[in-house]
Amino acid sequence: MRSRWIPALVLLVAACSADIDISAVPELPVTSTAELQEMLATTTTPVVVNVWASWCVPCRSEAPLLERAAVTTVGEVRFIGLNVRDDQTGARRFIAEFFPMAPIEHLADPGGTIPIDLGGNRGVPLTFFYDRNGELVELHSGVIDERTLALQIDEILRR
Amino acid sequence: MEFTLLGAAFVAVIALYAVLYWEARRGNAAGCTHDLWEVAIAAAAAGLFIGRLAAMIADGVNPMTNPADIIIVRGGVATGPAAAAAIAVAAWLGRRELWPVLDGLAAGALAGLGGWHLGCIVRDSCLGTPTDLPWAMTLQGSTVGRHPVELYAAFAFLVGAAVLAQWRQRGKPPPGVAAGLALTAAAAIRLLTEPMRPALAGPIWWYTLGVVLGIVAATQCWRREVSRIDAQSA
Repeated sequence: MRSRWIPALVLLVAACSADIDISAVPELPVTSTAELQEMLATTTTPVVVNVWASWCVPCRSEAPLLERAAVTTVGEVRFIGLNVRDDQTGARRFIAEFFPMAPIEHLADPGGTIPIDLGGNRGVPLTFFYDRNGELVELHSGVIDERTLALQIDEILRR
Repeated sequence: MEFTLLGAAFVAVIALYAVLYWEARRGNAAGCTHDLWEVAIAAAAAGLFIGRLAAMIADGVNPMTNPADIIIVRGGVATGPAAAAAIAVAAWLGRRELWPVLDGLAAGALAGLGGWHLGCIVRDSCLGTPTDLPWAMTLQGSTVGRHPVELYAAFAFLVGAAVLAQWRQRGKPPPGVAAGLALTAAAAIRLLTEPMRPALAGPIWWYTLGVVLGIVAATQCWRREVSRIDAQSA
């Protein structure tokens, strides 16, 4: 008898997840390699560029870490989220769910060519770490863990 | 695909197996009919699962709506809940002979943790906060010297495992004392090395709790044995 309640309880908990409201999230501006490189060339603060997509499961896993890092280092490090090969609705839904309060500037690259132009690859997630001179310090492929993220942020702040 | 984590896990398993094998050969597992290797692997798997689940919940990711995230171990594992789950599973599996099982796993668990931290070499993630000490190491292309903090932890865990295994063989401590001391050592090593790890945030009260619980467990087991001997001699 008790076993009948377990699936019902699971369904009830799953049903309790609220529908995500994306009205507060603006459309992501589409950018290009030249625009991003121009921004990196003129930056005076270290920059972290995280490449993500709403269909990327590992991106969900690292999103809370990036949000925490962006909040912790606000004013010291500039965080850019580069959404690739995605649609606006999916991207906005992802931001509303996983980056709700983060001081991260999100840009869209529907073709997904910018990471390759910057020296990366087609895989997501990718995280680029640039020092205050716009020099690439580290390119991390795949999911990033808290230690690596904190270490690389510390490194770009000290260079 | 990220395989470096598997490499670190492999080093941990080898270290765990080596110590359990050494202890079995030396007769340290006498009085324990359980297969400690099976208990250890089951406890480690349960710890990993619960630790990952706890990390997801702490990060605000709903495991019910995002079940696939559970397998992304690199996304983070909450150490405290993972350790609690591993100990609970080991205790449950060995409940018929609780202390012999936990004591039998003690040195092996320390060695496994040492192997996991030593696996930072495979993961290229040994470095911590900046230092001017002569043995400081640098990231590639950097001039900032850093503590090789994971190597400190690995060394401490492996020394702890060796000392505990030798003591169990020569000193024959009362039941439960080795397990309590292993918990104390593991939590203390993490507590002492934590300030040298770069972190975004993160409470370290789990480690303080581990030290306290380990000391309490070891002391209580020791006192119980002393009382038993006194009662026998009276």
